[in-house]
Amino acid sequence: MKKCLIFIDGEQVKESLDLIEVCRKLYPERIVETYAVSNKWIDPESLKGIDHTFRIDGDRIKEYDTRNLAYCISKIQDEYQFDSILIPATWIGRMLAPRLSILLQTGLTADVTEIQAENDQILLVRPAYSGRMMASIKPVGNGPVMMSVRANVFHNEISDDHKGDLIPFSYNCDQICGIREMGSFKKEKSYDIRESKVLISGGGGVIHNFEKLEELAQLLNGQVAASRKIVDKGIAPRYLQVGQSGKTVSPKLYFAFGISGAIQHIEGLKNVETVIAVNSSINAPICSIADLVVEGDACQCIELLLSRIRQYKEKNNSRS
Amino acid sequence: MKIICIVKFVPDVDNIRYDFENNALDRSRVRLILNPDDVCAVSVAFQIKDRNLDTSIEVVTMAPVSVKTYMEDLIRLGADQATILCDKAFAGSDTYATSKVLAAYLEKQSYDLILTGTHAIDGDTSHIPAQVGAWLDLDQISGVTWVDTEGIDKRKAYFKVDKENEVIDFEVKLPAILSLSRESSYKLPYIKRTEIDRDVSQSLTFLNKEDLNISECETGDYGSLTKVVATHTREYQKKECHFVRADEEGIETIFRFLEHKGFIE
Ligand SMILES: Cc1cc2nc3c(=O)[nH]c(=O)nc-3n(C[C@H](O)[C@H](O)[C@H](O)COP(=O)(O)OP(=O)(O)OC[C@H]3O[C@@H](n4cnc5c(N)ncnc54)[C@H](O)[C@@H]3O)c2cc1C
Ligand SMILES: Nc1ncnc2c1ncn2[C@@H]1O[C@H](COP(=O)(O)O)[C@@H](O)[C@H]1O
Repeated sequence: MKKCLIFIDGEQVKESLDLIEVCRKLYPERIVETYAVSNKWIDPESLKGIDHTFRIDGDRIKEYDTRNLAYCISKIQDEYQFDSILIPATWIGRMLAPRLSILLQTGLTADVTEIQAENDQILLVRPAYSGRMMASIKPVGNGPVMMSVRANVFHNEISDDHKGDLIPFSYNCDQICGIREMGSFKKEKSYDIRESKVLISGGGGVIHNFEKLEELAQLLNGQVAASRKIVDKGIAPRYLQVGQSGKTVSPKLYFAFGISGAIQHIEGLKNVETVIAVNSSINAPICSIADLVVEGDACQCIELLLSRIRQYKEKNNSRS
Repeated sequence: MKIICIVKFVPDVDNIRYDFENNALDRSRVRLILNPDDVCAVSVAFQIKDRNLDTSIEVVTMAPVSVKTYMEDLIRLGADQATILCDKAFAGSDTYATSKVLAAYLEKQSYDLILTGTHAIDGDTSHIPAQVGAWLDLDQISGVTWVDTEGIDKRKAYFKVDKENEVIDFEVKLPAILSLSRESSYKLPYIKRTEIDRDVSQSLTFLNKEDLNISECETGDYGSLTKVVATHTREYQKKECHFVRADEEGIETIFRFLEHKGFIE
């Protein structure tokens, strides 16, 4: 049997629970016992699929106090000797994991997107060079296998209703945290392209007509997304960016207008059912992953498609 | 106050070429640039110095000798001191070993604030700042987009972190490590004309493993706890694909396709 500890980021619980799937991939032929620890109090009822959840008794550790969090988790590790420690690559996770790796004197692989495991030999695959290359990393040394995992790449699909138990663990903050939150303001609520079923996305080829995508998105009940070029030019906000330095998305339909589809963009497309690529060049890399390639001018294509769909809708409306 | 910026010079990945035959990056023609996040870190330091005249800035990197000219330029831009941690034995270090070398140096220094980038665009792990924080037992925060360069003093700093859906204001007791994000858009000035040829060699120091009291087995390949065993460009399974043109006929095909798949209601 193998024991895995998963860090649950209190702000991204669902994404953190997806790491259960990583445990299965690491040890395909073993029974895996899953443990969870978090930076917030989370009702264990909501941690489906976790066998044991640590409840930290003692001083309350602030959510962003990665220094005490790391000390606390290293003490848990001393006692429980997990085979692997998995941390989601969120804002907190990316600060916590490296700190913990030093305390545990363990190698850490960053931002893992794929697991290759055979006969207990583990290779972790991750993007590097801003997503242009993939690297296979082998953990060496005696510590647990430690990694941060890119959000939204693995999905825990197996629904598991068994209830885990709580393990009290006492920890008092030995260190005084010097960081203090002074206030915050929520940004205007925007949509999350990771949740969209239909994405109408644009790149360098629609730099001058990016706003056209909006209308098509509305007609297809979808949302607008963008490649890095558009975002870097300030034409679309960063939260719409798909790809390695943006978001990983899994829509049913991905409509790519004038996007060349360099690897770091394609890296952001996971489990997309259908890709339609509109590009002036059929040699653009995006075409190699498309189900349908439209060769030609993106703007013209949008105009024609808009009027075709409108024509259909008008006809339909007049019938009903 | 004394500020130390730890910086990395990275290949300009936007202008990189692949050597498809050997499945590697063609490093021969790659130009190095100061990592974009680190540009912001150094710029913040300069801004603090502009507003608080008793500030001194040191830039530190662990890198091969070849970064010398880049480090000299940082002195010409306004850094008071530059230190290069450089030894053949450091080559091939993973982040565990890299942070150990950096910390071995920093441990012996006095400073009020350490500034870094949040992540480097090549190795791209985002580990180093937090790991250095662990070795030195300092608080560290990533994703910083604004620092109150006027209100800062030896005891505390105010700063902002821009998260996806909110912006948070923090106060931190110093010394601590703040890691800047390139979204902060702090920019470096240009080198003044009078500075271009200034001899800055007096302000530049090279230190090797003996200077840092680090043994061969603690660093480089030996001291690393992860190994990169392969790098490859990603291959995608070729799907069965239809080609059409952006004309009436092509549009009809797209339309039927969308309708068939249930995207048009
Ligand atoms: C393809 C590839 C994959 C890799 N994967 C891993 C991995 O999964 N785990 C692992 O442990 N190592 C890994 N490494 C090794 C790692 O990249 C190196 O140890 C590297 O020196 C650390 O840099 P980074 O780009 O990851 O830095 P980051 O941690 O991303 O850099 C963040 C900040 O730290 C500071 N900094 C970083 N490096 C230095 C430096 N040398 N000198 C001064 N300041 C610095 C800068 O302020 C920088 O902005 C990988 C290397 C490659 C080439
Ligand atoms: N008018 C256009 N319509 C459709 N695609 C275009 C047009 N102009 C350029 N492109 C493509 O858009 C992509 C732009 O890629 P990039 O420069 O990486 O953003 C390239 O693949 C071009 O072939």
